[in-house]
Amino acid sequence: MPRHVAYLAAMFLLCAPVAAQEKTGSKPGFTLQPGTVRIVLMRPSIRVGAQSTGGMNEPNADWTDQARRHLTQALHDAQSQLGNVVVDYEEGASGDGPLLTQYTQLFGAVADSVIEYQFFPGNRLPTKKRDKGFEWGVGADIGKLRSLSGANYALFINTHDEYGSTGRKMLQIVAAMGGVGITSGVHVGHAGLIDLTTGELVWLNADRQMGGDVRTAEGAAKRVAQLLGGFPGKAAP
Amino acid sequence: MKLLPLLIALAAATPAVANSLVSPGVRPGIARSKLAATPVGEWNRLSRVGGNNVEVWTIDGDLLNKISFYGGIGRGRTLLRQVDRKRQPLPQVSATMLLTDIPALLETTYRAQGAVVQMSIDTQQPATLGTRKAIRFTYSFTRSTDEVQRKGEAIGTMVDGALYLVTYEAPSLYFFDRDIAKYRALLNSLAL
Repeated sequence: MPRHVAYLAAMFLLCAPVAAQEKTGSKPGFTLQPGTVRIVLMRPSIRVGAQSTGGMNEPNADWTDQARRHLTQALHDAQSQLGNVVVDYEEGASGDGPLLTQYTQLFGAVADSVIEYQFFPGNRLPTKKRDKGFEWGVGADIGKLRSLSGANYALFINTHDEYGSTGRKMLQIVAAMGGVGITSGVHVGHAGLIDLTTGELVWLNADRQMGGDVRTAEGAAKRVAQLLGGFPGKAAP
Repeated sequence: MKLLPLLIALAAATPAVANSLVSPGVRPGIARSKLAATPVGEWNRLSRVGGNNVEVWTIDGDLLNKISFYGGIGRGRTLLRQVDRKRQPLPQVSATMLLTDIPALLETTYRAQGAVVQMSIDTQQPATLGTRKAIRFTYSFTRSTDEVQRKGEAIGTMVDGALYLVTYEAPSLYFFDRDIAKYRALLNSLAL
């Protein structure tokens, strides 16, 4: 094995997080009783593409369309089983659409930060580790949006999938021979509840290794079941 | 297949040793340089950095609020560690750089390696960093990786041909305004 490959392999092993990743978090004390609140299901952010050999995302519009169709259906099927009234987001004449798109993207950044700095215990930020809380949010201004009036919570859902190209899979094999672990494919999903009174993130399910091929109906149903697993207020199966 | 750059990128992107607490009080030697600051509140110093003379502080994570210190980047060096020198070459610091070249250096760096799809330098004005002449500028940008619109505010100067730059970046929505006062308080305490 070339010396630089061995060196990098050792460096990677030293760098790799040793603690297991958590996948669900909620604000301490947060509970939701069935039949007590109104939840708005925001338009999901769905991105599907291929992962190049170098790990770059190559968006695929056809796959994204397929995933959007199947995930929308799977969410529609799941909506009535969440224990509370869950309605689809309607922009109406509010003009809130572009801002809500930004909130959806901001939610994604918050959820990614929770994964990185809360769900990996070994990587927690010292200021957050000490208070042992779950202090995340998008700001209280979201509750002032006209199109969300009358709702108690907003349910955000993001999925981002990149299916590994042949080259990427080959790289994975070559790297494994050098002792370096490289993943092929990206399958990230976030489902989170934002309290519309405070803007706080009160519940989050998030994982960077989600299951289910979202390009198929069966896979999308599996993904939605995983995203909404343990949803607050939902009756146990 | 160019394996080495990919492995370097992978190792660089993986969390290393634990992040550390930045307590209130004098903090010398930031980014292994002459930069010093006296924060009044607590910050988290990320273990993951983008270069030898780069240090990153945050409150909630680098996607949500991020102060980057670039401490004395010398002639011929880049702001960030180059991931792919051949296909994504980064601009280098020049000893003859003018203060007004600093915003463009940051923008070119981000466009080359930061997956930035939109970026604009919004304002520029003379300033001082410690006792030295500097440039203060604001900017906005969006990365293709998360499509979040972010704003930035920075101050930079050249000392003996080396670049000293401090940037604050956060999502335009909620986070930038929430934490800008903490950044500016820190900025007022900077010494060089």
